[in-house]
This record gives sequence, structure tokens and C-alpha cells, in this order.
Amino acid sequence: MPPTIQGRYFFPLSARFVEAAAAVQDGTFKVTDTTGVPLASLPLPSVRVSSRLGAMRRRLEFPDGASFETTDNDAVDSLMRGSGLLHRLEKSWRLALTSILCVGAATALFVLYGIPASAGWLARHTSQSWARYTEDQTLEALDKVALHPSKLTARQQQHYRRVFAGVAAQAPRGVGGYHLLFRNAPAIGPNAFALPDGSVIMTDQILPLIKRDEEIQGVFAHELSHVDRAHGLQRIYQAALVPAAIAFVTGDASQLGHFASILPGILLQSAYSREFEQQADDDAVQTLRRMGKSPAALADLLERMERKVCGPKECGPNWLGSHPATALRAKRLRQF
Amino acid sequence: MDKALDVAPQAPAIRHQFRFEGSGGEYFKIWIVNLALSIVTLGIFSAWAKVRSKRYFYGNTYIGDHAFDYHGSPLRILVGRLIAAGILLLYGLSAAFLKWFVVVIGIALFFATPWLVNASLRFNARNSSYRNIRFNFDGSYAEAFGAYILWPLLAVVTLSTTIPLARRARVQYNINNHSFGGRYFDAQLPGRSMYLIYLGAIGLLAGFAAAMGFLVLIAYLLAVARDASLASVLALLAEQVNHSVLSAIFLVVYVTVFLCMTTFIQAKVLNLALNHTSLSARYKFDATISAAKMIDLVLGNLFLMLVTLGLFYPWARVRTVEYLVENIAVTGGDGIEEFTSDLVSGQGAVGEEVANFFDVDVGL
Repeated sequence: MPPTIQGRYFFPLSARFVEAAAAVQDGTFKVTDTTGVPLASLPLPSVRVSSRLGAMRRRLEFPDGASFETTDNDAVDSLMRGSGLLHRLEKSWRLALTSILCVGAATALFVLYGIPASAGWLARHTSQSWARYTEDQTLEALDKVALHPSKLTARQQQHYRRVFAGVAAQAPRGVGGYHLLFRNAPAIGPNAFALPDGSVIMTDQILPLIKRDEEIQGVFAHELSHVDRAHGLQRIYQAALVPAAIAFVTGDASQLGHFASILPGILLQSAYSREFEQQADDDAVQTLRRMGKSPAALADLLERMERKVCGPKECGPNWLGSHPATALRAKRLRQF
Repeated sequence: MDKALDVAPQAPAIRHQFRFEGSGGEYFKIWIVNLALSIVTLGIFSAWAKVRSKRYFYGNTYIGDHAFDYHGSPLRILVGRLIAAGILLLYGLSAAFLKWFVVVIGIALFFATPWLVNASLRFNARNSSYRNIRFNFDGSYAEAFGAYILWPLLAVVTLSTTIPLARRARVQYNINNHSFGGRYFDAQLPGRSMYLIYLGAIGLLAGFAAAMGFLVLIAYLLAVARDASLASVLALLAEQVNHSVLSAIFLVVYVTVFLCMTTFIQAKVLNLALNHTSLSARYKFDATISAAKMIDLVLGNLFLMLVTLGLFYPWARVRTVEYLVENIAVTGGDGIEEFTSDLVSGQGAVGEEVANFFDVDVGL
């Protein structure tokens, strides 16, 4: 007698079952009931065996819709010579712990190098016309929501355009590669920001805070670095890659997975953003040096901007913020 | 229809509580090894991981002496995933570069939603079985369009006052088009009960608001008792609490309140739906899921997952499923032997995966 597997035989396409025993003989899979009456006999390759998983019972499915169910996992493995490789991997705590390290290391590598590198590559290979198109749309949206026509006089605008051109002359694209735009933005406050195709927007609200042209030169140099390094485009790609990566890792569209991924997503995005700001600060220092100006001027303006926004105290630690803490930035700038 | 089943002999009705026999530790090992394999294979293996996961939960869910089975084909799921990921990428990029294309995808998704819902439910049902019998789902596009598009639109028109009825339409569409061995599930939910559930949720929200107001009031009274003016209290607050802390508190409160409300509604609707569900008039379901316990589970899971950097996830899933499953029961005679399956063919998983990636809410 060949070794047998005890289990239940379910009749074809039916919920009806009987206690039964299965055995393999000369390449044939045979099922008999407890009294030895044959129930099914078919070639072994036509039996579909579910792979072993945890302590669960296995189901062997036959082409006619019948099936054989058993808890004797070891017997199934030895009879069917099924590869229990996955199950062996899933069984061991040591492998599970190794997997944690693998997953952790892969996640860290992906976060530290994978996303920045792929976003950078994509941004470098995005055609200029796409960047222009994106910029136009962003500006259009901003003009609708937060920006109003500037109240600066023609003379003031002319003055800052000249200052801007001076900084642009030091940047890779030269004077013609960038444009300065003026907007009144009471909702945003004193600020300047760069758009993907080379436009830099300066809000009217920053004007009263500028004491020397040197200061706004630092701001322009910082914004031009964002343009040259395609930080705006990189952020767009990161915004698309981060959720995709989180969905991939958790492999879960449920609400639990959804909410658990929001906070890490936000933290990650702002961490990347802070790194861009630091890069732009460093570039601004280089540009200012070439122009023979002091980076400390930029630090002065940054501090004045913060006081304007947050009052006499500093804005505080900002682990959610898109910019590093102003005190830190100012300190770095003055170190050069 | 089968005479033997519909004209039933007076067999004594037995109540079978559903059981869950999986464990967090066992599932953890399966989950983490499959996750590592998914990463090593650059995502290809994730389809196999999904099937193993589903099989684990189905295979450990018992009614009486029999467990459920999941038969989904990993290859089909992989194809579905690749297509879904492609659409998602296209969508994400066009949001930045080609605004009008977003509108195109939006309109396409709008009209595809009923199809996606049906494809997803059908794939899942046909790949699920109990006692060698497959489930099936055969809702029509028109019906799905009503349940998933028209009812929600009506709720917008009626300023949200018909949300409970829209939810009921979705639940009934889901249940009533499912069948087991050729016999249909049937659920008719009373509209009044649906409204009571949503009123309860609004009451919960009001309770939160009142509690917050109460805390602010206490703080104010304490300050007044210390002979401080309101202005100085506010100045003190502004000094102590900066933007980041405020936004963090706001995020925590928002997530908590949102999860409490949705979990409350989810649990209550599930109870109501199951308590009104029968199969072929012979089997009646009932559920005793407590909304408070579910909220406790969901918030606790979220907290523990954040603290453990996600490693708690397998235990979170197991204990949630275990609680839900063990609070569901079915009562009926022993006629289940007479059920026969009429389906053996499967189908593609594109709809299921696209629906998953775009978070189309196909559940109850």
C-alpha cells in the first residue's frame, strides 16, 4: 500500500462531501472513500494543488470541479513533490527578521537615493516646452487665487529688474534666461518664489523689509538656483513618486493603509523640500561671492521676513515645514 | 430553482458563529517575507503576495467545520496592476503637465466607475468559494451606474440629505447581486435605520465639538481665576504654541474625528446590512459588531503602526478581521449540501486593480 492522505472529497461542483483517502499510484491520483470504494482517479498532472500557506488546510482541485481537502500538509508535499519553498521561507522567524532588515534597508535606500535620483533624472529630461507649459498653468492658477497686480511704481520695478539682471548675468542661462515678475500677495506675505521655466515672482510685501540691494540679490540668487536645478519639476515628480511608492510597499488601498501613509508622505515631501532650500542657499552664497557681495545680507533679510510673519519670537521647530528653520539657515549663511 | 432547497424540510435551524483561526505572528512572517520578495523583484512578486495574503484570511475564516477559499490568479492580478499603475502614472504626470488630459481621464473614470466596480466585485466573488462552491456577482452596468453615480449625485443636489439612501443603494446593490451556488443573497434595509445611523454620526461630531469647546472654556476659566486677562492668555498661547505644533494638533484631531465618524458609520451599516441579509430565504445572517470597539481597534491600530514604523500592520489586520468575523453568524438548516456550483471560469483582474489603485470604494 502506498502512503495515503486522509481528507474530504467534495463531489464535482457540489458542497456535498465524504470522508476519503487519497494516494498516488503509477502517476495516477486516486481517491477512495473510507470503505475503499473509488471516488476519483485521474492523472497526477491534472490535479491543481494550492500552495502551502501557514497551518491552513490544502485544497487539491480536479478538472471536473471536484476537490479533495486535507489538513495533512506534509503528506501532500511528499506525495505531490510540490515546492514548499515559499512556505519554508515564511515559516522561519530568523528569515522574517532578515526580511525586516531588507525591507528597512530598501526603504531607506529608496528614500535617500531612489526618489531624489529618479525625480532629478526625470526633471533633467523634461523638455523646456513642458516646463514653460507647466509654468504658465501654475502662474494662471496662482493669479486667480493668491496673486494680484503689483502696486509697485514703474521706477521701483525698473530698479529691481536691473538688480535681478545683475544676478542673472552670473547664472548659467544668462540675463535672457530668467524673468522677474511683480505681484501683490497679501495672503502670502513677504516672499519670493521660482517657477519651473525661469520666472521669479517677488511679492510687494517683501519691499518694506529690504534695507540694501545686497539683500534682495541674495534672494534672487537663491531663487535662480531653484530654477537651474529644476527643483520645481523635481517636486512635481516627487509628489507623484512618493504616494506610488507608499501604495506599492503597503500594497493596501484600505482606509487604515491610506491614513497610515499620509503622515510619512508629508514628512518625506517636506524633508526633500528642506534639502532643496539648503542647496539653493549654498548656491546663492557662491553667486554672491562671485559678485563680491556678502551672504550675511541674505541672512539679515531672512530674519526680518521671519519676524514679520511670526512676531518677535522665531517660528519654532518645523518638522512639517518646507524650509529649514530660519535661525539655522542664517547661521549657515553667515558661516561662509 | 431546486425543490429540495426551497421547499425545505423542517430541519432545526442552527446558528453558526463565524470563526477566525489566523494569528498575527503567523501572518507577520508571511507578510514580511512576501514584502521583501516584492521589493527584490521590483514589484513583480507583489501580485503573488496579494494572493497569499487573501488566501490566508479566507482560509482561516470558518463557518462550522469549513473554511473559505480564495482562488485569484496572481498573473491576472499582475496584468491588472501594471495597467492600473500605468494609468495612475499618466494621471499623476498629466496633473502637472497637461491639465486638459486630467479632465479626459476624469471623464473616462467617471463612466468607467460602474464597470470597474462590477469587474472588481465579480473577480473577487468568482475567486471566492466555500465548501467547493464559488460565489458569483452579476450586477449590470446600468444598476451600478445608479448605485455609484446617480445616487451620490442626487445626494449632492439634495445638499447631503439623501446620503443615507445613497449608501443604502450601494449596500443593496452589492449584496443583492451576489450569489452562492446559483442562489442570491437578499438584503432590504429600512431607510429609517439608515438615517438614524447618520444622525448618530452627527451626534458624535457634535460631541467632539462640545468636548473641545469645554476644554477651551476650562482653560479660560482657569486663566480668569488666576486673574489674567483674555488678551494675556492668548498672548501666552501664541508664545507657547507655534505653527508646527498647532498644525500637528490639527492633523491629529482631524484624523481622529474623521476615523471615528467613518468607522462608526461603517460598523453600524455593516450590522444593519447583515441583520437584514438572507440567502435563498433559508439562511439568515446576523451581526453584533460594536462601533465603539471598532473605533478603539482602528485608532489603536493606527497609533501602533505609526509607533512601530508599520511593522504592527499584520497584527492590526488580523485583530480587525478577527473581531469582525467573530461577530457575524448565520442561522439555517443543514440544506447547504444541496448547493451546487455552476461556474468554473475565471476572468481578468484589470477592473479590480484599477479600482484599487484609484481607491474606488467598492465595499459596503
